[in-house]
Amino acid sequence: MKKLAITLVVNDTEHELLVAPNRTLAQVLREDLGLTGTKQGCQVGDCGSCTVLLDDEPVNSCLVLAAQVTGRRVRTIEGVADGNRLHPIQEAMVEHGAIQCGFCSPGMILSAKSLLEKNPDPSNGDIRQALSGNLCRCTGYQKIVEAVADAAQKMGRA
Amino acid sequence: MLLPRFEYHRPARLDEALAILAQHQGQAAVLAGGTDLLVGMKHKLMKPAHVVGLEALEGFGQIQEQEGMLLLGPMLTASALAGEPGVRARATALALGAGVLGSPQVRNRATVGGNVCNARPAADMCVPLLALGATALLQSAHGAREVPLSEFFLGPGRTVRTPGELLCGVKLPAGGPGVGSGYQKLGLRQALEIALVNVAAFVALEDDGQTVKTARVALGAVAPTPILSPGAEAALTGQVISEELIRQAAQAAAADARPIDDHRGSADFRRQEVLVLTRRALQQAWQAARQD
Repeated sequence: MKKLAITLVVNDTEHELLVAPNRTLAQVLREDLGLTGTKQGCQVGDCGSCTVLLDDEPVNSCLVLAAQVTGRRVRTIEGVADGNRLHPIQEAMVEHGAIQCGFCSPGMILSAKSLLEKNPDPSNGDIRQALSGNLCRCTGYQKIVEAVADAAQKMGRA
Repeated sequence: MLLPRFEYHRPARLDEALAILAQHQGQAAVLAGGTDLLVGMKHKLMKPAHVVGLEALEGFGQIQEQEGMLLLGPMLTASALAGEPGVRARATALALGAGVLGSPQVRNRATVGGNVCNARPAADMCVPLLALGATALLQSAHGAREVPLSEFFLGPGRTVRTPGELLCGVKLPAGGPGVGSGYQKLGLRQALEIALVNVAAFVALEDDGQTVKTARVALGAVAPTPILSPGAEAALTGQVISEELIRQAAQAAAADARPIDDHRGSADFRRQEVLVLTRRALQQAWQAARQD
């Protein structure tokens, strides 16, 4: 299995990596770059725990080969806050009690971030649809939806 | 869950891709979005020695319109098709189907080429494409051929595509005035769902705005492949469209369905739902045809 030289721009930093072709983007982010905020749940694209933004669009990084996305931009949960200042979505998640075990939160936040970038004033239905690929087994979703709606409002006012 | 080992190829030119497929006949899997292939490989259902990624091929993600036909590149994602105004207007059923496939994350990766080649009986893009009269454009190192989708699917996961062939595009007539299509999907939940039954309908009206020139109804999850309903087509063609005619066509479609009982629903329920969804899809198509 010949290793491949790839370039990934992760959270605005360019990385040159040598990866085996059968390694997923999720594995490379977690194991090679130490970005363990990206979680691995089902690993077959059902749960959304491994959601990252690929050129600003949410994807399941467990179903992307690292070699497939050479040269592209990736944003993980580590690249959402501004230094020690949480992103408004992260803040709202904390305030609304939308984080319980926390395993789904990185993926939820990235899906929400992608939504609010495209649609700063989403309806309840828009939010639910945008988060429909992220499973949460703790909260029952309501608090997460409320948090995203609140973040949208606060970001709109800022 | 780890992927088995394989050699990865990332051709930048079509002839290069075709040469790799010719060289590794049967040993090479084609990787488009990966939302099916990589799942199958993780579950060890497939263990290809070579994987050929299409992401670097030029033009494979483009939409072209020429001589009344839409030419879809195989790497167009479900998200791209669902959001593209040209597809929404001219191939409405496809945009609707693409928009309800999987989850947002899956739609951002899943491609039309992958959906067609994976040939699942309930595939959210295959059923609309069948109703829209689409054709698969296949190429190999030895030549090219065009296969209507109505002859493309052989069974669940099986198509007429040979291991040396690559799906290089999907061609379909672009809708315009007097033409409309619709798509209806029934699942047990609202998102991330494989259809229990899905139906796409296409209607083209004569210049009088009421006589059906051409109509097609495609049914998903009620046979080993997505199928066309000959009964619905016969019931509609040449007739003046009306609610009553749509009801008759829906009955004919239900009679053409060959559903089975499985863990997601019974055959009887599926046949009932074909009736309901066909009616709704035809109403949608009729309304769209009147609006243009």
